[in-house]
Amino acid sequence: MATAEDFIGRIDQIDGVAGCLLIKKDGAVLGQTVDDPEVYSALMQMGSQSSDAIMANTGCSYCRYLSFNRTNLKNFYVFPIDKYLLGVVQQADCSVAFMLDKVSHLIGKVSTGGTAKVS
Amino acid sequence: MIHLIDELKVISGVIGACVVDSRDGVKVTNLPSIFKPERMNQVGRHLLKLYSAGRMSFDELTDITLQFDELVVVARQLEKGRLLFAICDPTFNHNLLTMSFNLLQEEFNLGNFVEDTTAAPPTEEKRSEVSTEGAISEPLQNLLDEMKGLLGKILGPMAGFIFDEVVENWTTQGAPDFSRIEELIEQLNQEIADQGKIDQYRQLMTPVLKSFQKG
Repeated sequence: MATAEDFIGRIDQIDGVAGCLLIKKDGAVLGQTVDDPEVYSALMQMGSQSSDAIMANTGCSYCRYLSFNRTNLKNFYVFPIDKYLLGVVQQADCSVAFMLDKVSHLIGKVSTGGTAKVS
Repeated sequence: MIHLIDELKVISGVIGACVVDSRDGVKVTNLPSIFKPERMNQVGRHLLKLYSAGRMSFDELTDITLQFDELVVVARQLEKGRLLFAICDPTFNHNLLTMSFNLLQEEFNLGNFVEDTTAAPPTEEKRSEVSTEGAISEPLQNLLDEMKGLLGKILGPMAGFIFDEVVENWTTQGAPDFSRIEELIEQLNQEIADQGKIDQYRQLMTPVLKSFQKG
């Protein structure tokens, strides 16, 4: 995997990304460009656990992302990457499909597991 | 209320929908039978938990979306403790579903989401029958207490709360009998949601279960 700082820097430069953070699944923050990373970190951990449980109950095999959709359109996405979780805050006025495509593309480059292809 | 969620099913790519209640579990569903109600109960419970956690971080939270390779799950809280979720094909139209959720939410707020008997949730009468006829025997209660203590070693301080909730759910699904203990363990495993910890919990419980069986 690329260094956390480098990876975070590249994600943050994608059009439509307002901020991001990378954490380990145990909650340790490896890098961030958002305020209050601890708040996001706790939510990401819980999101990861719940999505794993939902995945098992629906018979699915891989979670691409989980998103918290907000009325102000600053949606928050959680992407599982092996033992890590990437959180991305979306800019309100952006092409969501483009942003998700670019983030998934970068994840595919650094990830050693899961599916790298982008839908 | 089944006809209201049936309207969601008309949307291209929507496989079906389900309304869950934090106390009663699945209230109504039009999902294909492959999505078993007990599984959807678990999905609903996790979504409710996730939604509450999301609400603590974001006041303006509307929906939660889980994008899996095979399916997409979209959830909307109708009111505290009650949630609607749809299971969709990955090619579904998200904007159209969001709009339909908004309309359905309006219907709900107007009180047009009247419950009918289609969902066949357990009635108060039936629930009280379970609690009187299906009382937990003393030896089984002792076993459950031991299991709860062991879960504390795996999950920490929240274990007691989680265990009680799962046991409560388990007792509503059938007689609280040792013959159904694996069902309970399976439900606890879903709460643990970590294979390493699940294995560790099983290891801790094995001698306790064996000892109970021997009497």
